[in-house]
Amino acid sequence: MSLMQRSSPHVMGRNTTSRIMLWVIVAALPGLLALSYFYGWGYLINTVICVVSAVLAEAAILMLRKRPVLKTLKDASAVLTGVLLGVTLPPFAPWWIMVIASGFAMVFVKHLYGGLGQNLFNPAMAAFALVLISFPLPMTTSWSTPEAISGEPLPSFSQQLSHNLEWQAYDGITMATPLDHYKTKIKRLTADELAQTPEYVAGPFYGILWVNLAFLLGGLLLLFLKIISWHGPVGLFTGLLVLALPFSADADSAMPVLMHLFAGATVFGAFFIVTDPASSATSNRGKFIFGFGVGILTYCIRTWGNFPDAIAFAVLLMNISAPFIDHYTRPRTYGKPKPVSGYKLPEESP
Amino acid sequence: MSIESHSPAPAVQNPTQDIIKDGLWRNNPALVQLLGLCPLLAVSGTVVNALGLGIATLLVLIGSNVAVSLIRNHVQDTVRLPAFVMIIASFTTTAELIMQAYAFELYQILGIFIPLIVTNCIILGRAEGFARKNTVWRSLVDGTMMGIGFMGILLLLGIIREVIGQGTLFAGMELMFGPAAVNWKWVIIPDYSQFLFAVLPPGAFVALGLLIAGKNVIDDRQKQRVQKAVDDQPALSRRVRVTGHIH
Amino acid sequence: MSRVDRIWPLPGGIHPPEHKSESNGRPIARLPAPHHVVLPLHQNSGLPAEPMVAIGEQVQRGQLIAKGHHPVSALVHATISGRVTAIEDRPFAHPSGLSVPSIVIESLSDQEAALSPEAVSMAPMRDWATETKERLVSRIQEAGITGLGGAGFPSHIKYLGQRQIHTLIVNGVECEPYITADDRLMREHATDIVTGTQIALKILSASTAFIAIEDNKPEAISAIKAALVAVTDTRIKVKVVPTKYPSGGEKQLVYLLTGREVPSGDIPASLGIVMQNTGTLYAIKEAVVSGTPMTERVVTITGEGTPNPGNYWVTIGTPIQDALAATQVAVTGNRPRVIMGGPMMGYDVDITAPVSKVTNCLLVPSATEFPTAPDPDPCIRCGLCEQACPANLLPQKLFWNAVHHEWEQARLNSLSDCIECGACSWVCPSNIPLVQHYRFAKAEIKREAIETIKADQSRLRFEQRQARLERDAAEKDAKRKARAAEAAKAQAAKAQDTPSTLDASAKDAILASVARAKAKKAASTGPVTQEALENTVVLAQQAVDKTRVKLATAVSDGLPSVEALTGALQKLEKRLADAQSALQSHTETGDAP
Ligand code: SF4
Ligand code: SF4
Repeated sequence: MSLMQRSSPHVMGRNTTSRIMLWVIVAALPGLLALSYFYGWGYLINTVICVVSAVLAEAAILMLRKRPVLKTLKDASAVLTGVLLGVTLPPFAPWWIMVIASGFAMVFVKHLYGGLGQNLFNPAMAAFALVLISFPLPMTTSWSTPEAISGEPLPSFSQQLSHNLEWQAYDGITMATPLDHYKTKIKRLTADELAQTPEYVAGPFYGILWVNLAFLLGGLLLLFLKIISWHGPVGLFTGLLVLALPFSADADSAMPVLMHLFAGATVFGAFFIVTDPASSATSNRGKFIFGFGVGILTYCIRTWGNFPDAIAFAVLLMNISAPFIDHYTRPRTYGKPKPVSGYKLPEESP
Repeated sequence: MSIESHSPAPAVQNPTQDIIKDGLWRNNPALVQLLGLCPLLAVSGTVVNALGLGIATLLVLIGSNVAVSLIRNHVQDTVRLPAFVMIIASFTTTAELIMQAYAFELYQILGIFIPLIVTNCIILGRAEGFARKNTVWRSLVDGTMMGIGFMGILLLLGIIREVIGQGTLFAGMELMFGPAAVNWKWVIIPDYSQFLFAVLPPGAFVALGLLIAGKNVIDDRQKQRVQKAVDDQPALSRRVRVTGHIH
Repeated sequence: MSRVDRIWPLPGGIHPPEHKSESNGRPIARLPAPHHVVLPLHQNSGLPAEPMVAIGEQVQRGQLIAKGHHPVSALVHATISGRVTAIEDRPFAHPSGLSVPSIVIESLSDQEAALSPEAVSMAPMRDWATETKERLVSRIQEAGITGLGGAGFPSHIKYLGQRQIHTLIVNGVECEPYITADDRLMREHATDIVTGTQIALKILSASTAFIAIEDNKPEAISAIKAALVAVTDTRIKVKVVPTKYPSGGEKQLVYLLTGREVPSGDIPASLGIVMQNTGTLYAIKEAVVSGTPMTERVVTITGEGTPNPGNYWVTIGTPIQDALAATQVAVTGNRPRVIMGGPMMGYDVDITAPVSKVTNCLLVPSATEFPTAPDPDPCIRCGLCEQACPANLLPQKLFWNAVHHEWEQARLNSLSDCIECGACSWVCPSNIPLVQHYRFAKAEIKREAIETIKADQSRLRFEQRQARLERDAAEKDAKRKARAAEAAKAQAAKAQDTPSTLDASAKDAILASVARAKAKKAASTGPVTQEALENTVVLAQQAVDKTRVKLATAVSDGLPSVEALTGALQKLEKRLADAQSALQSHTETGDAP
């Protein structure tokens, strides 16, 4: 081993896995703060619960797998998953949903597949899908409403905390997410009528737009730091727009393009989920295709499926296809006529 | 057939004990052969469902094994498979009719999965891989053990999924055992809001995966223990043993 | 932009900290002549040379002291005047850390030195433009010039190739961090390098030369441009390439300048391109115009462990420790650690080993400069390595192949096209020593290939021996039968014979004995020639197999000896075929009667 270390290259870049994870966490903070500003303390409380339970769950499974605990925890990937879950789960959801989601993400999605880098699925999205299909009621009715829309103040920190910990339920106004709302209402109303409903007097994007912009800011930071490449996000936006532009032209029957882009988890998904290295494709071309697929599927599920926001399912479906994409986006090796398109069995020796 | 390759020794030489062990553990149809996954995953949501399908499968399996073994010397090879399928289908129909008569609601819940027993690969697999070459007695034991092995796993899955999915155990037993069983239901976690994942088929996959993992852990431990016992023996006696047993 | 000026951007590549300013600020200084030099007979590539001097003999700087019989081996010249004190195995600056036979020359005392001529040199060819190509090439060979970067392959070979060359690329890129030897040389000897380029163009009958320089060397660029203005040679163009590691790699530079790719496993000559290092061209100019053989070169001595980083003319053969001591580096035992080459592709060397013709840099890091990499984290499949790879490989896949010993898949993933530049390791956030894994995999693949060839060889030998034994047995049997038949005939003849025919029987007996003697002779010469022919076949077979192994090694190492070996292999194969057909015809005609 000493010989191995003494051969070239003798220098290493300063990039480290934990640095990548930490910067992604940092980049997610503006979005988290914006969410908390418009939708209350719930998101912050959720994030804390998720991070703590993700770290504990990872520590437990590491011990079970007889792997170094502290060294692995230091890469901060568990914390990142916790943060990503915290910003995706509804703010009024009870604590045990967080715990189940984080535990499932760490134990089942990440470590049963072999740990960091080996996971087929994006842990946060798989866990989100798990709780969404398992607990449809709390998952659809626990979204909060900005004060400007409901006219009621957001719960105070202690009210929120005791609600989420199920000590004392808080009877605030909760509402479906904007996407959900639009999707159900537009069946009966025209776009103009919809604009008159109380939810829209403050503007269809009130709050959520700023949240998306905050995530965009974080994403641009990651791009600037070269922690993510532009291919995945651009692929997602392209995929979404390819379908949204022609099909959503009529606001009376379909959700407008801008809502597709800025009223859901699109921006968050584009910069924080699609760019997850382990579960996405590896080459730049592959990343674009991966993002593109997510965009297409998101539009389809949002429009013709049962779930109002579809990033999670779209990502999971594309996760399955990532190895396939990798296989067909193999670069052409320098000096070789064409890419080696897959493994052949070694030729029979005569 | 690939099922045969799972059997550790040629079927014909199995002493009864080996057959029992194979069916219940070593060559368990659900955990090792991974057969019959479709009903296994689809109807193991609650204990009563699991029990219903388990018993039905067990009965069909016993019946078909015995019947196939009985006629084993009289059927031409060319028509073997159709004959077996006919036998299995008759037993399945019988089971279905019995269920309709005595547990109609359960029958309705299990729905298509009862007739689908015909296509359960365990049954055809045992007929083809075992009963065809073995005596009636052996086939009876094999059918029973394989059926119990399958039913055991089905029940285990049912228990896990019912507890996690609904927080209860033995709910709805009256469907099978009549009104007397109404208060068999045992609420383990009161006020439980359903954990739909465990109720839906994906949950069954995960649970089955965990069961398989559990079995492998137990097997590994056992192997280690045996290995250790061998290692711990004094060198001399080990040598004697080795020379006595040349594999 | 016209096609000539165009740059084809390299895929991948990295920008490690350059660390060039430490050493490129001062002019090249000359280190004092060393007390003794060690000259390996086995130059980096090519075959070993044979010494032409004896221990105790006095030699002059520039005198030819060892020579190989093969065109691929370079000549060895004495690099100082002095006395041969030993011809023995000495450590050699090579990643393997091997010792090779070397000639040691110790300098003379001042008195003696005053009496003897200082140096020998060859006749200058001032008007080289009128010389023939052949003479120029042999001058390059006689001057012992080898490539000054990379594998150190004798330079004249590049000028002997059969393929038509249209473009000469002068590699002044120097993309490795820390190294500034070429930079300084271009600044100070721009005119000489341009002259060297013109000589090379003449030898190659090429129509264009590109001098490629990275844009982080503006002084070198303007120096070369000024020199070009002075000579007004329109065939030569300066191409400024963006600073990026590894633009200076041979295949990378070919693509960067021409947009064409050297086919996998081949050399640039297949595209009609020859690449030369600036230092080599300087040496060519010196050898041709001044008649000086190559006895020194520019070496960058740098790193935080050196008090006087800079570039130095160092006599080839100077022990590394002496060169370092001359620049005030504290040398004790085998400390400090010295890397020959840059931080990306250099390797640790024994400091008692001599500076060789390919030593472009002696990097003396301080204890903290190149920290040992932390333990690797798991690969997170981030794909950064893939984006950094200049050869468009899938480093991360190759890594898994190497870890899981999947050699066949590694081959399909083009492991052999990896130039071991280290870009992937450099970017990997998980600090995985990727290149080390590839080296391991390559070594394993090579070992397996050699083993298969060896196994084939011994199987073949065994079969041949078996066949020969059978044939011998059959022959003996046949002879025995023939003898028995003869005896029986003789018996019968005797029985039949009457005394009256004694004369005839005597005649018969004489005839028979003559025939027997003839047969004996035939029998005795027959098997001998047979054996000899078989031996020839076996020997030829062995030679062919050996060359095949060598060729496989060369191909997998990307050595430039591939061409020469391919030629040799063809010849040997022909010889083998001849021997086989001779044997065949012999056996056929021998068996016929
Ligand atoms: S070392 Fe090999 S695999 Fe890595 S970047 Fe260089 S050429 Fe590519
Ligand atoms: S750079 Fe390192 S961590 Fe990233 S894919 Fe390559 S080997 Fe894996």
